[in-house]
Amino acid sequence: MKRMYFFAIALVMVFLFFASTASAKVNIKFYYPVGVAGPLVKVINGMVAKFEKENPDIHVEPVYAGNYNQTMQKVQTAVLGGNPPDIAVVEISELFSLLQMDAIIPLDKYIEQEGGDKFLANFYEGFLGNAYGRDGKIYGFPFQRSTPILYWNKDMFKAAASKLKAAGLDANRPPANWDELVKYAKILTIREGNQTKQYGVIIPGGWNDWIFEAFSRQNGSQLIKEDGLTVTFNSPENLEALELWVKLMQELKVCPVLRPWNITPDDFIGGVTAMMYYSTGGMAKIRKTAKFNWGAAFQPKKKRYGTPVGGGDFHIFKGIPKKNQDAAWKFVKFMASPEMAGLWSIESGYVAVNKNSYDRADMKAFLKKFPQMTVAREQLNYAYPKMMAVNYQLIRNAMTTNLDAALEGKKTPEKALKDAHKLMEEAIKGQ
Amino acid sequence: MREKVEQYRAYFFLIPGLFFLFLFTYLPIMWAAWLSFNRWNLLCFKPKFAGMANYVKLLHDDVFWLVMKNTLVFVTVSIFPTMFLALIFAILIDERMKGRVYYIYSLFYPTLIPMAAAAMLWVYIYSPNLGILNVFLAKLGLPKLGWLGSSSTSLWALIIITFWKNLGFFMLIYLSGLQNVSRELYEAAYIDGAGWWRRHVSITFPLVAPTSLFVLVTAIILTFRVFDQIHLMTEGGPGNSSNVIVYYIFENGFKFFDWGKASCLTTVLVLILLTLTLIIFGIFGKRITYSSD
Repeated sequence: MKRMYFFAIALVMVFLFFASTASAKVNIKFYYPVGVAGPLVKVINGMVAKFEKENPDIHVEPVYAGNYNQTMQKVQTAVLGGNPPDIAVVEISELFSLLQMDAIIPLDKYIEQEGGDKFLANFYEGFLGNAYGRDGKIYGFPFQRSTPILYWNKDMFKAAASKLKAAGLDANRPPANWDELVKYAKILTIREGNQTKQYGVIIPGGWNDWIFEAFSRQNGSQLIKEDGLTVTFNSPENLEALELWVKLMQELKVCPVLRPWNITPDDFIGGVTAMMYYSTGGMAKIRKTAKFNWGAAFQPKKKRYGTPVGGGDFHIFKGIPKKNQDAAWKFVKFMASPEMAGLWSIESGYVAVNKNSYDRADMKAFLKKFPQMTVAREQLNYAYPKMMAVNYQLIRNAMTTNLDAALEGKKTPEKALKDAHKLMEEAIKGQ
Repeated sequence: MREKVEQYRAYFFLIPGLFFLFLFTYLPIMWAAWLSFNRWNLLCFKPKFAGMANYVKLLHDDVFWLVMKNTLVFVTVSIFPTMFLALIFAILIDERMKGRVYYIYSLFYPTLIPMAAAAMLWVYIYSPNLGILNVFLAKLGLPKLGWLGSSSTSLWALIIITFWKNLGFFMLIYLSGLQNVSRELYEAAYIDGAGWWRRHVSITFPLVAPTSLFVLVTAIILTFRVFDQIHLMTEGGPGNSSNVIVYYIFENGFKFFDWGKASCLTTVLVLILLTLTLIIFGIFGKRITYSSD
């Protein structure tokens, strides 16, 4: 009997010991989306494992939360349910909604500790444009950041070389402006009877509001002004852009209508299209699976080159213990370090947010082999912050719904822009 | 006296069940009904009484009417063909004794796959250029369809997968219903010279009516609350062409964070379902009194 007691007490003590060490570890819940095609969940898990190895007192629980929309929904629900994650990556246009919900903390104090502006100077300025709130404080930190770029199938261009030459075009380079885009797309489209064997270009659906913002910028306009309040969706420049799209899809039929976002890279890899507009974040998949020569280029210009940046930023949440916030910052800093940002870029195709990543030997060797990877980074010179406004999910829905209707020929471009414009203004006012 | 005690006892045993039913079903319904008269969204963070404003707005919301139309199409088109074919398959399997187990398995199999996995599978089947469906269409010389990516086909693509998923389930229910139909009736009809089709129209269809009622109610519940496949495959798009009421409620509540509008939609849905249930049980419920015993 006595021995039993002793045994029981020893057991309890062992439990207590483990319980106490377990509670000394800080637990960080990390929600993240994957916004492009490709097996990026594995990459994130690998990075988390590395962080835990270097920081044995912190346990990070990565939660793959779906695409960008789904991740934001999960975050919003968690915050309102009083159980926020410690860190989340959400799409950059969502910042004002997060602030409206009073969900996240400013990072200025942490950045001050790291050396303030000197620390921030390590990162591409173009990617910090979406990180600031209206109060001038910094609320987000860049992570999976991109711009849309033009991918082109060099072999298909070569195969059509004589036709391109007859039209005065060069088969060794992609189109440089909108007029050329139409000409190239027309020549590169191959039809057999009532079937299209090969499309000239794909401008995918799903995130066509993002690509549309790029076309708007190229034509010297924008969708919503920087204040997040003034809607300019219905501008004549935007109408010109939408008319170009409708022409490509409905009149010339050189671009399929509303090709799903996640399937478009497969179409490019499968030789269904000669060109596509897509995020640079999808490049790793193409690099690994495309069996032909392909190039990446700036999106063709109209009045100028132009594009919004895209992707997701880290945010650290309110309503969690201070030690969790500190640990969360440690994780953010780790993920933005030259080594990790570089690794992420190589594995995904996103631009490394840390400039120093590009000084690393492994990165240099990699870029030498795949110079396509530098295009998005260089396009940053012509990049603008992405539109931001409160109620962004509602706004985005208004934009995509109406763009879709115009591209399917169910609304005139004028009406689509006007309808979206009205809905966007209502959403910003919360009516 | 004794009977009274029995009665009280019955009520007593009902209490735990009723408590949770009240807490998780009736209370939220009443709460949603109350919220539907309030303005409550991201920009108005506390519920504020707004009278009928949400309902008036709903009447002027084009998307709402589109969603109602889609729901109607989705429910009717996916219920009746599924029920009819499920019954036919059940009859065929019931008559064909040899190897019937394999037919049951292969028809029932889709029901066992989780909808999320099935949806991802079908996304590839529907893929516009590389998907097997369009490859077949092209082989037959037919034009390729946009399926999920086109507003004229997206709802139908979802109906097809729902049909595929539910068919086996309903077939199995019908198969068990058929076991209650007396064989003698068929033999008598056979001797009288009734053909296959006549036998089933006159004997099977009326006698499995109770099963049909059960299947109908189940099917209405299953199709009205359709969500997974829409969320995973189209998110209601393109242009809300595949958006139905439950998904629209979800979108307003958890995507656009307009709880006033979401509650308003919920109340409308509750009223519709209540009316439907009353109609079905009020009219059809009374008529089905046959029994083969």
